[in-house]
Amino acid sequence: MNQVGRNIPRLEVHAKVTGRADYTHHLRLPGMLYGKVFRSTVPHGLIRSIDTQAAQALPGVHRVITGADIQKLIPEPYYGPAFHDQPILALKKVRHVGEPVAVVLASDPHVAEQAVQLISAEYEELPAVYDEVEAMQPDILVHDVLRPAGTFADLKHLKGRGGTNVALDYHLRRGDVDAAMARADHVIEHTFKTQQCLHLAFEPFVSVAEPGDQRLTIYTANQSPSFVRIEIARLFGWPENRVRVKVPYLGGGFGGKLYIKLEALVAALSMIVRRPVKIALTMEEQFYMITKHATTFRIKSGVGKDGRLVARKCEVYWNGGAYADIGPRVAQKSGFTAAGPYDIDNVSVDSYEIYTNRTPAGALRGFGVPQLVWAYESHTDLIARQLGIDPVDFRRKNLLRNGRPHASGTVLQDAAITEVFDSVVARMGWDKPFDRGSETLRRGRGIAIGLKAVISPTTSVAIVNISADGSTTAYTGTVDMGQGSDTAYALIVGEVLGIAAEEVRVIHSDTDVTPYDMGTLGSRSLYHMGNAMRLAAEDARTKLRALAVEAGLPEGTNYPPAEVFKKRYGMQAGNVIGTASFVPSYKPPAPQTGQSDNVTPFWMVGGAGVEVEVDTETGKVHILRLVNAVDCGKPINPGVARAQISGAAIMQLGFTLSEAMHLDGGQVTNASLADYKIPGIGDIPPMDNEVVAAEQHSGPFGAKGIGESGTFGVSPAIANAIHDATGVRIMELPITAEAVLRALRAQAGRPLDDE
Amino acid sequence: MIPFEMVEPRSLEEAVALLDPTETTIRAVAGGTALMLMMKAGVFQPTRLVCLHRIEPEHARITLTEAGELRIGAMASLSEVEKDSNVAARLPVLKNALRRLSNPRVRNVARVGGALAHGDPHMDLPPVLAALGARVTINGPNTSRELPLLELFAGYYETVLEKNELITAVTVPQLHDRKSAYIKVTSRSADDWPAVGVAVTFSLHDGVLRDPIVVVSAATEKVTRLAGAEQVLQGAAIDDAVLRRAGDAAAAEASVLADAHGSAAYKRELLRVYLRRAVRQALDESTPQVRQ
Amino acid sequence: MSARTINFTLNGQAVSTAIEPHRNLVELLQRFDLLGARESCGQGLCGCCTVLVDGVAVSGCLYFAVWVDGKSVSTVEHLDADGALSNVQQAFIDCGAFQCGFCTPGFVLMTHQLLKDCPDPSDEDIRDYLAGNLCRCAAYPEIIEAVKRAAKAAT
Repeated sequence: MNQVGRNIPRLEVHAKVTGRADYTHHLRLPGMLYGKVFRSTVPHGLIRSIDTQAAQALPGVHRVITGADIQKLIPEPYYGPAFHDQPILALKKVRHVGEPVAVVLASDPHVAEQAVQLISAEYEELPAVYDEVEAMQPDILVHDVLRPAGTFADLKHLKGRGGTNVALDYHLRRGDVDAAMARADHVIEHTFKTQQCLHLAFEPFVSVAEPGDQRLTIYTANQSPSFVRIEIARLFGWPENRVRVKVPYLGGGFGGKLYIKLEALVAALSMIVRRPVKIALTMEEQFYMITKHATTFRIKSGVGKDGRLVARKCEVYWNGGAYADIGPRVAQKSGFTAAGPYDIDNVSVDSYEIYTNRTPAGALRGFGVPQLVWAYESHTDLIARQLGIDPVDFRRKNLLRNGRPHASGTVLQDAAITEVFDSVVARMGWDKPFDRGSETLRRGRGIAIGLKAVISPTTSVAIVNISADGSTTAYTGTVDMGQGSDTAYALIVGEVLGIAAEEVRVIHSDTDVTPYDMGTLGSRSLYHMGNAMRLAAEDARTKLRALAVEAGLPEGTNYPPAEVFKKRYGMQAGNVIGTASFVPSYKPPAPQTGQSDNVTPFWMVGGAGVEVEVDTETGKVHILRLVNAVDCGKPINPGVARAQISGAAIMQLGFTLSEAMHLDGGQVTNASLADYKIPGIGDIPPMDNEVVAAEQHSGPFGAKGIGESGTFGVSPAIANAIHDATGVRIMELPITAEAVLRALRAQAGRPLDDE
Repeated sequence: MIPFEMVEPRSLEEAVALLDPTETTIRAVAGGTALMLMMKAGVFQPTRLVCLHRIEPEHARITLTEAGELRIGAMASLSEVEKDSNVAARLPVLKNALRRLSNPRVRNVARVGGALAHGDPHMDLPPVLAALGARVTINGPNTSRELPLLELFAGYYETVLEKNELITAVTVPQLHDRKSAYIKVTSRSADDWPAVGVAVTFSLHDGVLRDPIVVVSAATEKVTRLAGAEQVLQGAAIDDAVLRRAGDAAAAEASVLADAHGSAAYKRELLRVYLRRAVRQALDESTPQVRQ
Repeated sequence: MSARTINFTLNGQAVSTAIEPHRNLVELLQRFDLLGARESCGQGLCGCCTVLVDGVAVSGCLYFAVWVDGKSVSTVEHLDADGALSNVQQAFIDCGAFQCGFCTPGFVLMTHQLLKDCPDPSDEDIRDYLAGNLCRCAAYPEIIEAVKRAAKAAT
């Protein structure tokens, strides 16, 4: 029976509906101490003193630890995936409100919490900078000097650079943008902004470290256990094999739980006190950990009389917050797609990752691409309107097609841009008459489409183990946070070995057992680990056949594995272990121009169409219908794939309409689910989701990733629909009802008061 | 949470005696859903909590008085009020408001008395009950008094309750043929605290509107009756122009505050529009009350 | 401020423990290794900590542990006490009504309560009743489908 393409429930459904699924959140170890974090109350300042005496004296407190204590254990306690810029606990300086300054350890978390309130710190406050464009000026410096990690060769040149908040500047040049603009019949320019928002997984950040004999075990809610192992080993100066990182199921990740978050802290604390230490953040504390970049995107296009885009110039400013996290990679690896899925001969992109005194920003479901699509698809729509061309016709005229070079110089392959676009347009009934509503309830519709590349180059290693009774176990470092990766790999292994996916046991994320994987991020896993898993299963199959030959069984016959083992070893004994590493080919972009003929192993495409009704008296936007289409190649597990589309689209709906971190003097003023509103069941519009017929020829059984693509088109499609309904254009996310009413009133010449 | 003493008196009298007229760290707790939020946030750290959940069960009863008034014991849970047959038959506006108040778990635990004594202007019960002309019964050590509900609220999270007084009941007069509506206006997501709450009740005779009560909540520091809007509506035959004037009057007279739900200017617009819509909704009681 | 002994029924069994007044119901359940109720938002908004007390749903994170003295407490772990999944749990599986699963026990318990109050719920009923359960993976369309499927299975 074919396994790939079967529609099956995830392997772990029983554990999840009965409340028995294993999460780090639940972990308790004998002798374990709970850590509660004392956080900075100022956005930027020099630490003058930290008074921990009263906290230390509280009965039940085991110990209070500050950055100085950490430094005794680890002289250079700075970590991070792209830059080693983040101290485990603040040293000398704090750079954002909520930055960890000290930790109280106690057996009872309530005691630790009470003790935290008894700590006080004095700061010499420094001027702070919050806006990404303002921070381009070096008046206020968040860091004195850049500290790129050695990991990425293309960041080495930044080492030692000072006097700037620009952590990374990325540039792409194709053709001659200025000359083309000068010749263009129309030159149109806009600036779009997005807000800082965040992942808010329902299992908040949690990590536990348990010291052992010459080793350390870290149990953590993390999307990249292999990286945690490498980074912890680096911090301690240990070989990798002394660190074990175990990740059970994750209660949501969305890019938040990537690289290192609490792991370095619990590791250091547990080594200091020689006891297991757990730190579990509250929902409120998540607002001080990692966020999605706020952005400013200046975009300018030159268009010919015939409606052809001839030039596009993109300047993207990414608000990275106080520490780089993976922000520089976002600025670069997504930045290069800033001109959109269009066939434009002359393109320039300048993309800047900028330090500010905010909570750090990293990757959130789309690795920066949703911010880009928001701008370029709003802009594209405005151009069409200004030129009096139907937005669908205008896009169709300019869409990039397979076989044509992308702005990076890589020729597009297996990117179903046309199919995704056509699917949205058809299901929107774009050519059919449309009810425009009434004077106060106006209706409109909009579409948008986005393109993303996968982060490259990255490596996945897989193991497939056939036991002597023929049962099969697959070992993977992919973290299953609900996307169904375990099940997808079971389907792939089952397909290769000719067994039902349900019979394959998947062991995930225990670095003592599971081999290296770069991380569960950027929709890379199904392609990279999926390919590795397929190859590992094929390797196991080959080895099993060889074993059969060794056992004297005639070649080409299909004996059940159990018989092969029995024949070879005389009893139920032995294993066949298939392994494979997968790293796709890749050519790094040229540093000055960003050009490469092989910049990504695959492309992701997502499109959305929206019908809205706008209440012109209140600005309320009612989404009447949301149509999504995605190219994920051939889906491995179609039901799970469709759920990924709708989950991504609804998450993006929140980022579009309601979610925003509000800051006042660097303080987050809405750090709770009560005041940071994520979509609830009452906010879900009727949806129509489709995986278009496509194939990724280099993917496992034609598949590629899907976790992010459903986010791409949602925000601009909504803004485009509001424009269509009312004639007003919203240039900044989120599109709150108040923002819409203000725009409507401004348009009518009766602006609302500011206050 | 920081440790504290918890007492669970068996009678109202005992409960009142355990409160302290001056000590702010001693408080009564009914369902605790609001108080626990404050305790978890560290904005309230009690030394003693006087839990009311084991006092005489009569304080949780919902009864119809001889005068046809509904008497709701302060310890009745919001769910009990929501599911009460007399409430359903006589005060559908109250039942509808409860259906969208917070969520079923909170309604199962939160008590009517607690919801009023908290003094939070964002809550849904105070504006509805105020527009219905409800009165609260308040007991202290050897004292009992009754107040119109609106007089309970003194300011933002402030009431006129003494520290050793408890609300024991709410009495809601008969609605008779009065029309009523409450609209909870949320500005961020469908289920949220309101940006503005608007409750109206009035009589209608021969197409003319009489004795209106118009109450605004959430946008103002306390639940507030809007006399100017009422004046416009009093004696008027309802048409768009009158409703517009009433909305304008409401927007002009209410002291609207900005918060995370919107600027003051925006919330004034919401009040202006939703006052109109609330009157329309009350007039059109044949259609079920829908989401705003 | 010291611990007090409470006696209550937990998933059908009489139990007793000593616990301090400042601890909540989720913490109490952890002592009995019942981990299906999880504190997430800490404000009664997300529903991850849903527990039934005397047959009524409460937010375990906003409920003092000592208050269950003399009461009957039931958790998600009790639904398959007889070894079989409840019709709601099965419907959630059949409809793929979750991803990460962290909020799922809360949704499952609330759906049982909804169907008790309202055996044949409309979309509006489902939306009103589940307004206090959030799912960050946003499996809402599948959840609505699962509630309807469970309702159908029960009739």
